[in-house]
Amino acid sequence: MKNFWKILGFEYLGCIRNKAFIIVTILILVLSLVTTSLPAIITALKFAETEDNDPDAEKPVIFISSDIYSENEIMGELAKYYPGHDIKTGKEDKESVKKNVDKGKYSFAVIYTSPLSYTYVTKNNSLYNADNEIISGATKSLYVQSFMSQNGIDPKKAAEVTNAAVSYDQITTGTDTAKSFIPVYILMCMLFVAIVSYGQLVAQSVVSEKNTRAMELLITCAKPTELMFGKVIGSGLAGLTQLTLILSVTFTSFKTVTTKHLEQKILDFLNFPLSTVLYALLFFILGYFMFAFMVGALASFAGKSEDLSNLTAPVNFIMMAVYMIMIFMSNSDNFISPFMTALSYIPLSSPLAMFMRCTLSDVAAWEICLSVAVQIITVWLTGMLAAAIYKVGVLMYGKPPRLRDIIKLTFAKK
Amino acid sequence: MKIEIKDIKKSFGDKEVLKGVSFEAESGKAFGLLGRNGAGKTTSIRIIMGVFYSDSGSILVDGKPIEREKLRIGYLPEERGLYPKKSISEQLVYFGMLRGLSKKDARLAASEWIDKMNLGEYKDKKLETLSKGNQQKIQLAVTLMCRPELIILDEPFSGLDPVNAKLLKDIIKEMIDEGAAVIFSSHQMNHIEEFCDDIAILNHGTIAISGNIREIKRSYPRNTIEIASDENKKISALVLKKMAGDIEEVSEDEKSGILTVKLRSPDIKNKLIREISDEGLDIDSFMVREPSLSDIFVEYAEGGI
Repeated sequence: MKNFWKILGFEYLGCIRNKAFIIVTILILVLSLVTTSLPAIITALKFAETEDNDPDAEKPVIFISSDIYSENEIMGELAKYYPGHDIKTGKEDKESVKKNVDKGKYSFAVIYTSPLSYTYVTKNNSLYNADNEIISGATKSLYVQSFMSQNGIDPKKAAEVTNAAVSYDQITTGTDTAKSFIPVYILMCMLFVAIVSYGQLVAQSVVSEKNTRAMELLITCAKPTELMFGKVIGSGLAGLTQLTLILSVTFTSFKTVTTKHLEQKILDFLNFPLSTVLYALLFFILGYFMFAFMVGALASFAGKSEDLSNLTAPVNFIMMAVYMIMIFMSNSDNFISPFMTALSYIPLSSPLAMFMRCTLSDVAAWEICLSVAVQIITVWLTGMLAAAIYKVGVLMYGKPPRLRDIIKLTFAKK
Repeated sequence: MKIEIKDIKKSFGDKEVLKGVSFEAESGKAFGLLGRNGAGKTTSIRIIMGVFYSDSGSILVDGKPIEREKLRIGYLPEERGLYPKKSISEQLVYFGMLRGLSKKDARLAASEWIDKMNLGEYKDKKLETLSKGNQQKIQLAVTLMCRPELIILDEPFSGLDPVNAKLLKDIIKEMIDEGAAVIFSSHQMNHIEEFCDDIAILNHGTIAISGNIREIKRSYPRNTIEIASDENKKISALVLKKMAGDIEEVSEDEKSGILTVKLRSPDIKNKLIREISDEGLDIDSFMVREPSLSDIFVEYAEGGI
């Protein structure tokens, strides 16, 4: 294996120096920084909005025409919803109000016709206009308060009773699926995308070396096992570098920026144990190797780049099917079913299935070990088989052979 | 160093590609492996390079089974190609390392060969930005940068312009003089004749003929005489009159002015000279016509390339 490290280094550097790879990394990093900074940006924008309000500048006017509720009552309910507005009360007829709204004197106006009905007058309306929801709520509150006062009930005490909150503690002896579901779901999607996209990177590299005929030289300089393992591990390490960079930047940004601007409830929801990340890493490595060896070997039969999708379609299809099953299983809370247990031992489906199982339910350590052992053996066998297929495939030009011919050629006496 | 390919057989499925091929090459000499497309040249080369294993037979280096890791081999495949998107120096260093050079030596060798090929200004440029001719020079540098003891060139002159062909010839001659063993596989007979002392012609997986070119040529019947003279007509008439029983055919190529006399036996060459001389006819040259390598190739490789 003296050439293995040289090939690995060349592949690794080739990947991380690749322009497309760098651009994708930067784009994802920017996207991740923007996403994690979003709560902070929203807070900053809100703050800037209030800061920008010049106290001397003329505020938009809201006019409330009412002889049912007093000015104090109205101000008490509405002022908190419209801090940047000047709320005026009085008595005006509908036509005059409409004119004033149309001229822009009033931002909008409300004319009470009874304690529980009003006319809302606005010049323009939009889909996002929430005035009616606010005024309806405020009116209902005004009505309740006035009703209680009239019947001798203290509104404050009544509010205490109606708003009484129950607190509780929860003890979960196994895995709290509800709590870790979102991060696990996100990580499972990432796992799938990472396995498939980095695997395709290997396939592309094989096709490109064959197309440019660099393979004619490579195959005489190094053993197929060195070439296959060097290529797959080199590209895998490049993928890990990219993932580590993206995850650490996202994590740092999340911890330093996002957490300050999100409510604890949401933070609790996004929180997950370190073991989940470690499982994701482990199953990424195993899944990636299995997939990359398979598509890398199949890619060696591609005469041109266009053949690649046809040749790798069966493996891609299996991966996609596994992913869809995982989504279905997780949605229907079926990840503790015997079917899911079986999937967690079958190569290709096991990385995603075991990841879901061991992060969302209680799985015995021996089960995880067994699944990992099956995957390691599969990786090794796939790697050796891939090298054998690759040796035959890379020197075959023209129309890609049928699966039957691939098997026949691979196992023919060399 | 002497490399011997002994009775190699190879089948792919039901198709027997090599049916017992043997030849040898040695240091300081070039060996020509000839044959039509599909004759088994590339398969033989790939077996030497270790891409395939033969079904039977052996490859010996100085009498011992070949150890490719210990042998510095330079290989120029018929299907050329490197990494178009990578810089020239980067890929030279990579292939140098794969051929057994340390990183430091590979860098030195890359720099030396880039200068040798007059491509210093392009060393950090991507291969695809170079002209085709310059890309071929880089391919050549990749082949030879490890100072190989054994050089295998599969159709080395195909696609080369005359300037690069001359460059390749000069470099190959230099390498042969330095003691490399060269195996040439080519269709271009003139280049083979120029470089090689020994040849083997492959036909349908078997060696149709092999040996020293000179001896092969001499092994042909030496009964065809080419005479250059201003008195061809008189010579022709004389031969037909006095040696009618000894002659198979007399013909004259009007373009070159060469008279060809095909004798029934090579032993009567002297009689022909005497007759011409006794008649006092003037001749510029009198020589036995030897077959060209192309003639031999066509004969043994079943008519036409």
